Amino acid sequence: MNTISIAYKNLKRKKIRSTLTIGGVAIAVAVLVSLIGFDKGYQKSLTGNIDKMGYQLLVTAKGCPYEAATMMLKGGGGLRYMEQDIYDKIQSDPRIDKITAQLVSTSYDPDRQDGQGGFVMYMGITKSYIELKPWSKFKSGKWFSSETSEEVIMGYEAAEVEQRLVGDKIFISKLNKVLTVVGIFERSGTQDDGIIFLPLKTTQKIFSLPDKLTGLGIKLKDIHQIGQFEEDLYDEPGIQIISMAQVRGTILNLISSAKVMANSVAVIAIFIAIIGVINTILMSIFERTREIGVMKAIGASATDIFKLIWTETILVCALGGVLGCIFALLASDFVEYIIKKILPYAPTGQLVIINKNLLLTALIGAIILGVISGIYPAWRASSMRPVEAIRTGE
Amino acid sequence: MHKKIILTFLVIVAITENLFAAVGCTLNDPDRDIKRLFKKATNYKTEFIAIKDRGDENLVKEIEAKLKDKLEPTYESIDVPYAYYTVLSKKQTIGYVHGVNQKGTYGAMQLILATDANGVIIDFYYQKITSPQAKTFKDKKFTKQFIGLSLADFYTKDIKEIIKKPDKENNDYLATLRGTKKNLILHDEFYLKNKYDKYFYQNEKKGDKK
Repeated sequence: MNTISIAYKNLKRKKIRSTLTIGGVAIAVAVLVSLIGFDKGYQKSLTGNIDKMGYQLLVTAKGCPYEAATMMLKGGGGLRYMEQDIYDKIQSDPRIDKITAQLVSTSYDPDRQDGQGGFVMYMGITKSYIELKPWSKFKSGKWFSSETSEEVIMGYEAAEVEQRLVGDKIFISKLNKVLTVVGIFERSGTQDDGIIFLPLKTTQKIFSLPDKLTGLGIKLKDIHQIGQFEEDLYDEPGIQIISMAQVRGTILNLISSAKVMANSVAVIAIFIAIIGVINTILMSIFERTREIGVMKAIGASATDIFKLIWTETILVCALGGVLGCIFALLASDFVEYIIKKILPYAPTGQLVIINKNLLLTALIGAIILGVISGIYPAWRASSMRPVEAIRTGE
Repeated sequence: MHKKIILTFLVIVAITENLFAAVGCTLNDPDRDIKRLFKKATNYKTEFIAIKDRGDENLVKEIEAKLKDKLEPTYESIDVPYAYYTVLSKKQTIGYVHGVNQKGTYGAMQLILATDANGVIIDFYYQKITSPQAKTFKDKKFTKQFIGLSLADFYTKDIKEIIKKPDKENNDYLATLRGTKKNLILHDEFYLKNKYDKYFYQNEKKGDKK
């Protein structure tokens, strides 16, 4: 019989205890895998979302940002507007590859958000908006017939919720205005899915915001010029400029404190699992003191005993690792659901990414855990004196 | 740094704020709504049932025949789940609350029916309607006309004679009647073991004889 099968049989002798210990390791591994999977998924989704905005720089109106942020959070008015002159001034900069002007406005709908009332977002855009997002495709319909037409293009989800098809009407109750749907975008997995787009000039007209804009999206020919470009616009009155790379970095910084907390929980879980494993194996050794003594008396060397106990520990951790990986895989959708419920502004896309590499790393980690936590119990067992062990175990 | 955080905040919101909830016809606040609709309710059970859970394309055809209209392939597909709230008073079923999304002229309407254990309407209301005439449609004068009706009335009578339209607007009125009939047909299919089928087939026979 080889060491592994003996170790396995030893574990089977105390099924409940072994199962509980393996379960403890499995939970620790599952938590760790889920957390790392979340970290990867969140970063990827966030980067994907920001990349899908299509521009590297966003120019917005200066103002009290806290107030604007709060109002925007509620979906309400209070959005800061800048003059269209800024667009005219910036667009001629030779460093710009593409630039798009946007005007966002909202309308209150008392039936939205489960009857609590909410705001529908309308975004005035020009053709350049699509040029910045070449991946935007029409599911049906086409672009506006003119720059001043009273038409809308709906994001996929907006159309789905309102059951709109090309040719249907939409009604903006705040303005008592009826507009015609001329196009519906394919699902993009971005904020565009929930937006109703109008021609920029129409938005300025019907929302009574002549020559006003809420933002300018800019893509430069050379990304290395971003810093200089930002600096050049720094003194421009009435605007503020931010790069999407900064946005990404800051969002990740903002969630890093939450990540530290979550990682601490994982470390504690692993620590508890290690203690649990050592405790279980030590208990098992103490119960088998006589047996170990007999094994030594009939010729088993200290190395044989060390190997046996060490193998038992590694086996417990390896089985726990495998189970933990399975748990993490099975629970990934649930974890993602919970995260999306808890995080107020989770990016769209897969938030928990568990791939082969991660699973393999977790499994190797669990085995290393077994190797480390098995040293002391194995040494303890191997250093027992046969006669003393037989006498003590009686 | 201050500026960065604030702008980041704005952009996070812009990136991630989902301004539209998922498609569905669940009650806004089931606890509150069911207590309002059924004073004697002590509990309720929620189930989501799609046509595909109870049948295949033949069932779709049967529903379309009863509805005398095609189901819209994008928004009324076989896998769209419908929410059903079975209302209990102690252990006895005292009624159901069920809603459907119905395409209206200016957006989706959410039509909610409260029916007794036999499928007779005891209340009807719009959970959502977007229309210049929304107030008129939501008015009790219009909605109370549905009370006391059952699927039998929709099968055997000229429903437009019973439920008068609230104003000149015709499309949302017709859409409301269609949605309500669809709602009752699905409820009959899913919960009442097709007890109203006899009225449908009776009427069909009459139609054939004529």
